Amino acid sequence: MRDIFFELSVRSVRLNFLRSLLASIGIVIGVVAISSMGMLGANMQLSVKEQLSSSVNTVIITPDVVRTEPGAGGTTTQQQGIDKSELNDIRNAAGLNEVIPIHRTSSQFTVGSTNGRGSIYGFDPNDIPKFLTVEQGDTIRGPSDAIVGASVASNFNLQIGTRIKIGPPNTVDRPTVRVSGILPTRGFTSDGINTDNAIIVSDTWYTDHYGDKDLYDQVNVILQNVDTISTVESAIDTKLNKNRNQVVRISDASSRLTSISQTLGTITSFILAIGGISLVVAAVSIFNVMMMSVNERIQEIGILLSIGTEKGEVRRMFLYEAFILGIIGAIVGGICSLTIGYSVVSAMIGNTAYFFLPDSIIYVPYGMIIGIVVCILSGLYPAWRASNLDPIDALRNE
Amino acid sequence: MNEDPLIQLSDVSKVYHLESGDFTALDHVCLDIMENEFIAIMGPSGSGKSTLMNQLGILDVPSSGRLYIEGKDVARMSGLERTHMRRDTIGYIFQKFYLIPLLSAYENVEYPLILKYKQRDKSGKAAAVLRSVGFDDALSAHRPSQLSGGQQQRVAIARALVNDPKILLCDEPTGNLDRKTGLQIMEILAGLYKEGKTVILVTHDPKIAEYAHRTIELEDGRVISS
Repeated sequence: MRDIFFELSVRSVRLNFLRSLLASIGIVIGVVAISSMGMLGANMQLSVKEQLSSSVNTVIITPDVVRTEPGAGGTTTQQQGIDKSELNDIRNAAGLNEVIPIHRTSSQFTVGSTNGRGSIYGFDPNDIPKFLTVEQGDTIRGPSDAIVGASVASNFNLQIGTRIKIGPPNTVDRPTVRVSGILPTRGFTSDGINTDNAIIVSDTWYTDHYGDKDLYDQVNVILQNVDTISTVESAIDTKLNKNRNQVVRISDASSRLTSISQTLGTITSFILAIGGISLVVAAVSIFNVMMMSVNERIQEIGILLSIGTEKGEVRRMFLYEAFILGIIGAIVGGICSLTIGYSVVSAMIGNTAYFFLPDSIIYVPYGMIIGIVVCILSGLYPAWRASNLDPIDALRNE
Repeated sequence: MNEDPLIQLSDVSKVYHLESGDFTALDHVCLDIMENEFIAIMGPSGSGKSTLMNQLGILDVPSSGRLYIEGKDVARMSGLERTHMRRDTIGYIFQKFYLIPLLSAYENVEYPLILKYKQRDKSGKAAAVLRSVGFDDALSAHRPSQLSGGQQQRVAIARALVNDPKILLCDEPTGNLDRKTGLQIMEILAGLYKEGKTVILVTHDPKIAEYAHRTIELEDGRVISS
């Protein structure tokens, strides 16, 4: 048999069903807002982490933004890129790990009569299978072969064998490459090689047309053992960035992952705070309903106090009422959060693979608990007021 | 029987501080009420009857003077001790019945037992007390709004009796009832007096006051005869 004060609270909620329902809807909205926004943020983080973690074993070495070297006679010359001797230093520091030198530029190109722009990557064809998987066709075999990214292939309707003219459209005698393979969608990766909107050619073809042989825009080190990442980074730093002279910048997926996770975490907190505003509005609504409940039941409270009900028991009765409103709102809100959250994640991220993972779904019970706590907090003052009414005045209240 | 008064008012005054000035509702009242007395309190409107009842029911405390119930100084008791005394020693019967509207007749009677024992009544005491005041079992599940005035007052009496209090305070218990029902209620109260309860009754009706063995008359907050 239930506690009499809980029973009184249930009956009071039933008696004022519509009012209670409307107050609970506020909590439903608040719970849905918090849960859905939290799940959206969590799914964003999980999605990005998954993409980045595929290349978590990669150390990225890029030249310092603009490196100025003293030239003869006190003048200065500028050199952009990692040169051959620096590459050798990297190879020495990397030991048995794979070292991938990368040429990269941006260029216009033409497919048939359609012009476009994208990244041009130059790799040693032997390096390509070490970090890229061709989805259709084959890797680079001939001197004019090229692999294209998924976006380029789909936007320009490229097939194996399609020819692409590289360079601005008004240039005469533009070099041509032939599509030998098409890559799958890689999305945003943390190895610094974003292939979706890129054309990948051999390093020979690249340096024949863009020059700068033995000068690389980026060097990736693919580690055999991810635990050695700091050792390798430290060795490269010692070799290249001597005498406090910053020659290269060294980064890896873990630092990017941390940085991106922190940013996404901040975004999640922000959108959670926006969701929280709706709970503040709900709290005001619950407070209002509880005050109405107390005001309407003043005489009843007077009866309870006059026949020996303790103040704490009166408080408990009203807190139960707030709790009931909260639990109704939280349960309905929790169920709605699953459906609305799923739709929001599906619409905003386009991928619900992570939706039911604990890191994402945990926001539903979080939202529900916050909703209930908000309700109980909103009921504290009305409950306190009810328990401190003067029984004589309360009995006289009609 | 105990020779000490069950209730003792020693120079009790109650002053309300109103915007229009101080109003003395009880003016130096001295009164001894012994165990198993049947007392009627009478007096015109504004004479202090309700204020006196509130003092006896320890819903309020005197502005000055001392009120002792079972030898205990009410003013020196904590709020919780007063609440427990209201629950265990005093049964209050109101003119307007004041049943809890959200509870059934049975639950209204069971309620003081739950307050005292912190659990639902499994002994059948609530049902037995309801029967003892002539309340029809079939109506036990009805809410107060579904009962007649007489039925509600029977439930209110049962509620006041269920914790077996020594003192029954009845504030115009027949005021909202027709003559016949009022007399039935008075018969119940007279029976309770015979069983050893101390019954204190406020009434305007001399016929009702005839049930009592002692009448206290109030005027302007003073006891003019007791």
